[in-house]
Amino acid sequence: MNQRKLQGEDLPDNERIDSYLWDGTGEPNAEVQRLEKALLELRHRGAAPAFPLAVSLSEEKPGLGFLSLIWPRRFVALAAVSMIAIIGIAFALKKESLTSSRPGWEVALIDGTPVIGRHSMQGSGAKGKLEVGQVLVTNENSRANITVAEIGEIQVDPGSRVRLIQTSRDRKHIFLEEGTIHAAIWAPPGEFVVDTPSAVAVDLGCMYTLHVAPDGTGLLLTTLGWVGFHSNGRDSFIPAGAVCPTHHKVGPGTPYFSDASEAFRNALSQLDFGSLTDEARAGALQTILSQARKEDALSLWHLLSRTEGSERAQVYARFAEFVPPPQGVTRDGILQLDQRQLDLWWNALDLGDISIWRFWEQTGQPSKSQAIREQMRQKKEELLKQSR
Amino acid sequence: MIAAPPFAATDAELVRAAQRGDRNAFGALYERYAGMVHGILLGRVPASAVEDLVQDVFLKAMPRITSLRDPDHFGGWLAAIARNRAVDFFRESNAAPGHLEDVPQAEPKSTEAGGVEKTEADFVLAAIRQLPEAYRETLILRLVEGMTGPEIALRTGLTHGSVRVNLHRGMQQLRQILEGVEKSAVKR
Repeated sequence: MNQRKLQGEDLPDNERIDSYLWDGTGEPNAEVQRLEKALLELRHRGAAPAFPLAVSLSEEKPGLGFLSLIWPRRFVALAAVSMIAIIGIAFALKKESLTSSRPGWEVALIDGTPVIGRHSMQGSGAKGKLEVGQVLVTNENSRANITVAEIGEIQVDPGSRVRLIQTSRDRKHIFLEEGTIHAAIWAPPGEFVVDTPSAVAVDLGCMYTLHVAPDGTGLLLTTLGWVGFHSNGRDSFIPAGAVCPTHHKVGPGTPYFSDASEAFRNALSQLDFGSLTDEARAGALQTILSQARKEDALSLWHLLSRTEGSERAQVYARFAEFVPPPQGVTRDGILQLDQRQLDLWWNALDLGDISIWRFWEQTGQPSKSQAIREQMRQKKEELLKQSR
Repeated sequence: MIAAPPFAATDAELVRAAQRGDRNAFGALYERYAGMVHGILLGRVPASAVEDLVQDVFLKAMPRITSLRDPDHFGGWLAAIARNRAVDFFRESNAAPGHLEDVPQAEPKSTEAGGVEKTEADFVLAAIRQLPEAYRETLILRLVEGMTGPEIALRTGLTHGSVRVNLHRGMQQLRQILEGVEKSAVKR
């Protein structure tokens, strides 16, 4: 008997449902009450999980990308069928695929007993597979290492929950629900994405540490390359040596270099996440501007789009003292937040080419540039050298 | 920043907001529908696996919600995802759907003899799981999740008549199963 067969059916006139069983009204039915009481312990009580920010429709309907632009549709279909056949044969020949058909990444135990799905990893050298949809959980004594396809490594610290959302040729996507990970990635920028409850971290070719607290706030520290942090229409770019906090209801804050003065960092935090009076806000901004060093132009660039009116004009003036506006950038353009001019000025900081980010932002795809892929290959060599 | 939808928003309004990318709206849908998903899964997979699968169903539904044409059909659509997820669970674990006890419980209650102690809830759930699928699902939503008949109809997309049949006939059959269990226990 299935749902469809029963849909539309109703009880005959000579049968009446007990009103307490139907909607809890009328004379309490002792039998139903006894069952309700017995089964109460099985009732759903789980709190709502933090939902990933970066899940998009494109993940569900993978297209053939640029191929469809240059090949007629039937050739694309034929090529797709051929590819599926080739992949099928390759998988059939590969012994490992016999254990599980779902895509996933290898997990190696470092300490304790990490859990993947419902299976605990135990014993020195234990390995497991984190499949799409599964969660890797480490308790306070456990640590694990994830091999991210062929593009990097993630160390998962104690007290973490990491869910694998997607792994495909152009997209590796995890959701750090809580805890700390250290990622070393040599994929083309935009290929590796980490969702958190309060912002999405997009790898732009780098090593970084990402922490998510139980309340969903987070902190990202980049040690090599740079990372884009994105949520609620706010973008933050975090180059090596810089830190960026993120807040559940605000998104990413303003990044700063970790050696900036305490007063500078506190004032930024107030401006980003505090509920300030106009007077207090003006005071925080003055502290930032007076404490800023040349390196802190990183933070000032971000503040251009996070301030308004006279505040933005003050930030512009201080920023221009450190980094003279390049050709094509005008005061009026910046005060009106002209995207092209802001991007030109960012590139003048020499902290990373923002066109990579814009490409990801518009397409959700990693950069296709051969030059960038070559840079990533070199970065991989560099990372491997460092790890030896 | 997208504003949080009001508490009083209808399901269809929440679905439309979620389709525009509003995570708060999706969170509100979770609050309203997690019990239904939990109940559907509880009738099909081991109790120890249900909580994780509830989250998985919502994470699967989230990127697909833009493909839902009629927001009024959200409940039925989500219920179908939950039923499919239960099927996938057994496909992945190579266990037969009929053998729900095969998978160990997360925190089994050990007896002195070394066995696993069964609570009254386990016995009643095992009896409900012997019922036909439609009766089983509706009864779990009523008796475990505490939903009323009209609420079950609203959430799952079934008609009131269907829910009435499932509850009434399901309860009759459950009574027979439980009486049979009690009689055989007395004989022993």
